[in-house]
This record gives sequence, structure tokens and C-alpha cells, in this order.
Amino acid sequence: MKKLFCYFVLTLGWWFATTAWADASLTPMKGKPPAPDFTLVDMDGEKHRLTDYRGRVVIINFWATWCPPCREELPSMNRGWAKIKNEGIAMVAVNVGEDEDTIFSFQGDYPINFTILLDSKGEVINQWPILGLPTTFVVDKQGRLAYRAIGGREWDSDALLNKVRALNKP
Amino acid sequence: MGNDFKHRYCSVLALGVSLLCSVSLQAGVSVTTNTETKLTGWKLSQDGFEFELIQRLPDQTRAFFLARGFSKKVADDIALACVFQGIGRNTFKAGENKSISVDLRSWQVHTGAKMRAVKQKEQWDAEWGSQAVSTASRIAYRWATFPTQQTFEPVGDYNWGMISFDLPPGTRFDVHVRWTLNGKPQQAWVRDVQCPPDIHPEPQ
Repeated sequence: MKKLFCYFVLTLGWWFATTAWADASLTPMKGKPPAPDFTLVDMDGEKHRLTDYRGRVVIINFWATWCPPCREELPSMNRGWAKIKNEGIAMVAVNVGEDEDTIFSFQGDYPINFTILLDSKGEVINQWPILGLPTTFVVDKQGRLAYRAIGGREWDSDALLNKVRALNKP
Repeated sequence: MGNDFKHRYCSVLALGVSLLCSVSLQAGVSVTTNTETKLTGWKLSQDGFEFELIQRLPDQTRAFFLARGFSKKVADDIALACVFQGIGRNTFKAGENKSISVDLRSWQVHTGAKMRAVKQKEQWDAEWGSQAVSTASRIAYRWATFPTQQTFEPVGDYNWGMISFDLPPGTRFDVHVRWTLNGKPQQAWVRDVQCPPDIHPEPQ
């Protein structure tokens, strides 16, 4: 009886642990609208314009240091980046409303291995179809919004990355 | 792994689970109190929709907004307005083609015979019109609070953010939660929710 209860508890735990992410994927954007262009600086003050990435698939993640689900998904984004960085796909993290010093300190605990752009005044995020953080978009080679993910995802999942890779095919 | 160890492991796990949470159930609503933080959460689960309200101590909320440049007065006003962490989620599987939309303006908060609406982020923002709340602080507020209206797709979409019910600390209330499933109205009650008390726990 005790054994049965233990298995029940374990099964319940496993179910709770896996259900949240089991079907997590990306939502195709209806009509693939053009991604709103922006010019933002990175942590070294270098300017990045979205249209400069034209011809490449870009994963664009909007986040903030104080946002718990953003922190939760960052390690998987680093692992995902390690898988795709040699495939010609770009990944950028657009920080909303914070300065370099805050992000720099944050990186002591949560390193980010891909490009960070600063939307310090929150002007760019207002141009994008976003209501909460984190929200991530996949922009196709033609500069269109192909997919959206509201909330965190496991970005090192091959099932998810294969959707991104499919956009990268000639 | 020996049987003895397995049994001991399972017993410890079961004990941990029971200690971590004390759970009571309403129809479709589970109530959980974290024994470490003493904070209570109400989780509504109904037909692919999950919405959780977790108490935030006024001190937590006050500290969050003070750290983002709000004046003490405004940080206090928000902190004492019955703030919860809201987490909304579409739990349908990818391919089921079931969208869920939440509009906080349609929710009703009942305290005894009185009924009121949830206090929206836009209302807070309008109140600060004449006060000195910087752009950076407003950005933090906007993105740290639950969107007034949002649609969640069945691919793991979820969102979280603070929701204020604008009631005094410790007030008990019922909340009538409304959402739509592929455009069809749905509703459920979450009863006997309690605004977090304004306590200042000392570290043990």
C-alpha cells in the first residue's frame, strides 16, 4: 500500500514537472507581418539595425532582469544558441527598460552568450505585438514575423529549433 | 537501490510534499500555502485554462517598486492595494487549436454585498499623471503587471504579472474569473481569497 502511494506521488510529481513544457512550441504568426525595424545599441555601444540581419533567420527575445520566467529560460537559450550559432541563425536578447550596469551585474549570475540589445526607453517593445515578458519572435530571412512564443520555452529543444531551422533552408 | 532505501526515499518525498503544501480544494480551484513563505496561492484549472493568484507581501511589492525608482508614497500605495502575482496559462496541447483570451476588465471582485472591478494598470498610470513617476519606473510597472487583455495559444503560452485588487491588507473576497475559449465565454469563481497581510516577517 505504502509502495503504491509512493509511486502515485512520484507519478504525480513527474506529471506536474513535464506537463508545463511537454507541448511547448511556437505559434505561427498569421499573415507573417513585417517585423518592425529598430536600431538599438549592444553592451559595447555598437549599433544594430534589424534590417542588417536581412537574409538570416533571427530569434528575438524581449526580457528584463527582474522577470522570473525570463531568468528561467535564459540557460536554455544559451544551450540553444550553442546548437545553432554555426548554422547562420542569429539570436538577440532585447532588454526592456534597464541600463548596462544592471545587465552587467545580472550577467554575473545569469551569463548570456549571445547579443544583448538595449531598449532602455521601452520604445521598441511598444512597436512590437507584445503584452508580457518574456516574449520571443522568430523573424524569417525576408524580415517577417514567422513565429511567436508568449512566456518561456525550452530553447534547446530540437523539436522547437527544427521549426527555426526549417526557415533557414534555402 | 535496496527496498529499504526506496521506501525511505518515498516516505521522505511524500512527507516533503505534504509539508510543502497544505492543499484544500474548491471546484476546479486548489489552495496551497507554502510552509516556508507562508504565502497562499489559489489555482483555478478548468478545461485547458489555468490561472493562479499567489499572495505577495506588501513588503515584497514595496521593495520591488522602490528599487525601480518609485517614490515611497507611490510604492506604498501599490504595495497596500492587495497585490497578487497572477499566472495565466493555456494548457491545451499544440494542434488542439484552442485559444484562450483573458480580459481583466470583465472580472468581478465581491466583498460581502459589494462588487468592484480589478484595478487596471491603466488606472494606476492615470493616477500618477500629475505625480513624479519617471519613464523608467512606468516601463517597469507596465511590464511587471499582468496585461489587461491577452490571448494565449495552445503551444505552451503563459504570462505572469502583478494584479491589484485595491482592497485593504487581509481583506477576504471572492473573484469571478471570466475568459473566452475560442471566443465562447467561460467563467468560474475563486472563493475566499485573502489579500496578503501587511506583516514584516523577521528572518529566522
